[in-house]
Amino acid sequence: MKKIVLPGDLISEGDEYTPNTYTEGGKIFSAVAGMCTEDNRVVPLEGSWTARTGDIVIGTVTNVGRNGTYEVELEHFMKGMLMDKFGRTTFIAGDVVEAIVERVENRRTVILTKPRRLHGGTVIEVKPSKIPRIIGKNNSMIKQISEITKSNIVAGENGIVWIKGGDTGLAVSAVQEIERSAHISGLTDIIQEMLLNKGN
Amino acid sequence: MGSSADKPKLIINGKRVDGRGFSEMRPMKIEAGVLKNADGSAYLEQGKNRILAAVFGPKEATPRHMAKADRAIIKCRYAMAPFSSLSEHGRSGPNRRAVEIAKVIREVFENVVILEDFPGSQIDISIEVLQGDGGTRAAGITAAAVALANAGIPMKDIVYGISTGRIDEHIILDLDMIEDNFSDADIPVAVSPRNNEILLLQMDGGMTKEQFKEAIGMVMESGKTISKIQRDALLEVYRKEEKRHEKNKKQ
Repeated sequence: MKKIVLPGDLISEGDEYTPNTYTEGGKIFSAVAGMCTEDNRVVPLEGSWTARTGDIVIGTVTNVGRNGTYEVELEHFMKGMLMDKFGRTTFIAGDVVEAIVERVENRRTVILTKPRRLHGGTVIEVKPSKIPRIIGKNNSMIKQISEITKSNIVAGENGIVWIKGGDTGLAVSAVQEIERSAHISGLTDIIQEMLLNKGN
Repeated sequence: MGSSADKPKLIINGKRVDGRGFSEMRPMKIEAGVLKNADGSAYLEQGKNRILAAVFGPKEATPRHMAKADRAIIKCRYAMAPFSSLSEHGRSGPNRRAVEIAKVIREVFENVVILEDFPGSQIDISIEVLQGDGGTRAAGITAAAVALANAGIPMKDIVYGISTGRIDEHIILDLDMIEDNFSDADIPVAVSPRNNEILLLQMDGGMTKEQFKEAIGMVMESGKTISKIQRDALLEVYRKEEKRHEKNKKQ
């Protein structure tokens, strides 16, 4: 059974490092408010997004440079530089794009690659720490939502979810429900029930 | 501190002016996650104290020359609202006293937040005293610790703060404004409850070594209660949703 831990809670004995913990005197303590899994790993429930190579992100183009370079706003205090060398797609300011983090320059800038324009749709912001739950194990959660609501959904690691088509309103409320109750087990069933009840 | 000539009677029939026992705290209530736009927040009520703490970050450190290459920096703001007390706080924003308090609070959190995880970054803590009635720096620490945990910032422990002091030969806990002004000693303390490490200790007045030991003992004892209130406030954010789902299931 997963349980909620808070900073300073004892996780286990030992001194190996796992994310979101710290060790002291041969004991492992939690460093954040999160869920402790059976194999003594801490999954944070709160916290901001730290960019890593390979993250799929969604942002808005804010500036168009020369030679196919674009500035993409990903989050408060965080921007992405998009260098589309082959110039297959051109973007204009205000376009919503999905891209992959190629390299993290510093805390303020990341280099993006493989852009894809997201036409129209709705963009909502959620807490970045809840994104893994919105995607689910092997995309199970996001697949379920898009199957029932018939919407296209893309979840960006930076806490931005893009939804288009189908029953957008229902999909938005489902995503927001997951954000609120990310710590509850058996969430896939709860969301399924919610979607089926409200959809009819 | 007032001079001994105009010192009011602070202990009547073995009770303090507001009817509390010597080692009795004012009732405390904390709510976490009250502000939507902050990364983490907490609202604290302790007697007549009303304190709001908010946390932002980690974000890029500004100005850039303040950034540390190997760890994050903490910026702390403590301010009393113009309407927070009867006088002295007529202007808004931090004053000379508030800047000093912000500095000592910052140093408390520099000891518990795992700053090495965020090189070149900055974490903002703001503590706004909406209504002050003595012991606001300690209460501010208690609230800010909850706000930091609510923001998901990695830290070693949830620290708490409480004030202790002396009236004549009596050691008292959690001084309110009148006791703060006229007591013989006033000691705000901040403690990391995991190992009872003292992170802040200031003293106004004087005490003997024995009295000091008694006072610290009282602080550690009260810490169990405060830590529980802090933890409950943080867990309530998640329990609330669990309760809602259980209710839905029954229907």
